[in-house]
Amino acid sequence: MMMDDLKLTALPEKEVPISHHRFEPYVDNGGTVLAVAGSNYCIVAGDTRMSDGGYGIQTRHYTKVFKLTDKCVIATSGMQADTIALRKRLDTQLRQYERDHGKSMSTPAIAQFLSNTLYHKRFFPFYTFNLVAGVDEDGIGCVWTYDAVGSHERVRFSSQGSGNQLIQPLLDNQVGKFNQQIVDGPRELSAEQALSLVKDAITSAGERDIYTGDFADIVTIDQKGVHFEKFDLKLD
Amino acid sequence: MFLTRSEYDRGVNTFSPEGRLFQVEYALEAIKLGSTSIGIQCEEGVVLVVEKRLTSTLLEPSSIQKVVEIDYHLICAMSGLTADSRTIIDHARIETQNHRFNYDEPMGIESTVQSICDLALRFGENRKDGEERMSRPFGVALLIAGVDERGPQLYHSDPSGTFTQYHAKAIGAGSEGAQTTLQEKYSKTLSLQETIQLALTTLKQVMEEAVTTTNVELAVISKKEKKYKIYNKEELEAVIATLGQ
Repeated sequence: MMMDDLKLTALPEKEVPISHHRFEPYVDNGGTVLAVAGSNYCIVAGDTRMSDGGYGIQTRHYTKVFKLTDKCVIATSGMQADTIALRKRLDTQLRQYERDHGKSMSTPAIAQFLSNTLYHKRFFPFYTFNLVAGVDEDGIGCVWTYDAVGSHERVRFSSQGSGNQLIQPLLDNQVGKFNQQIVDGPRELSAEQALSLVKDAITSAGERDIYTGDFADIVTIDQKGVHFEKFDLKLD
Repeated sequence: MFLTRSEYDRGVNTFSPEGRLFQVEYALEAIKLGSTSIGIQCEEGVVLVVEKRLTSTLLEPSSIQKVVEIDYHLICAMSGLTADSRTIIDHARIETQNHRFNYDEPMGIESTVQSICDLALRFGENRKDGEERMSRPFGVALLIAGVDERGPQLYHSDPSGTFTQYHAKAIGAGSEGAQTTLQEKYSKTLSLQETIQLALTTLKQVMEEAVTTTNVELAVISKKEKKYKIYNKEELEAVIATLGQ
């Protein structure tokens, strides 16, 4: 017997899949917000569901609309942790401004300031999609709509978040009345009409969007101040 | 008196036993050597007039500027060591522009004056290497005029970092006489035109030379336009002509 026969061949190298656990800084907690402004009012709605990024629901009572001043609210969808961090930042700066300048920040000023705040984190953005809504110094309703890094525009109505694609065309048609030559009655909605439209809009989003539902915060802002009310949505 | 002073008048951050800061008090004296500036606020706006001392006939009058812009809605007149005002004005201009950048709105008058006074107080601070150090208090007083949502306002700021709001205020060499006149003649119901007249006649009284288009500066900031206007030679001539007698 030759020793050579006993020589064993080396096993082929086993390819072990390398799994790195990457840091995932963002979670989309979903949710929908929308706002409609008129000449002397502004109505904002936001659902209160907080999803885990999939089918799960972490809470049914997470409010997305936050009062900043007596004339202004911010409505934010996206990641809840970033929303809270952003909100905290705005709140401290707003208090600071109040003490420095002896008045509360006007809604247009807040709109500009939020844009700057978002852009300051241009390369690691807050995962938030915002609406700033309220009345300006003249009591005229106003809405600003943002992207995550601070690009913004003053509009008459807008929506943001997971139900955006469902709601925006509805608002374009019913509030903007785009491409309508014959309009019954005045082009601008009354506060009551806007309130009822906003409720229908968020209910409709809840029908199809799994990240929208549970309850809605309906907020009315006018010269008298900010008024919150709760509204039921589907729980499934 | 001089004996007690000599011990304590060197350091800018040392109180005398009587509780005084001599360097600040000396700075206030420097203002009394400066040319006279007058500011008057009325319902419709604020008026600033300043005397320009033309020490030589060979001097180019337009090279002296004593009413300067801080922002569209904010101007200031100065008296004392006017070179010091450049630092202050630079600071105020940056602050007001920053405010526009941050909030898309003009900065409030009082907050601007506050930020100017914050700067005026920095003479006592010990700064680290590389940081700019102030060697002494500013030797200049300012009359700051502006319009914001609270209406037209006039403020006076001095080297001690104190600011006060006035309806009418005179600073500089002729300030005592001018202030007395203002005290007598000022009324809250003056129109903008009457205010301009009052400011110029008051300045005329305390000036040694006759008022001409080259030795005074006049600026107005009206509530309606919310933008300042510095009068040019022709416009100034028209106003001076109405003073007449």
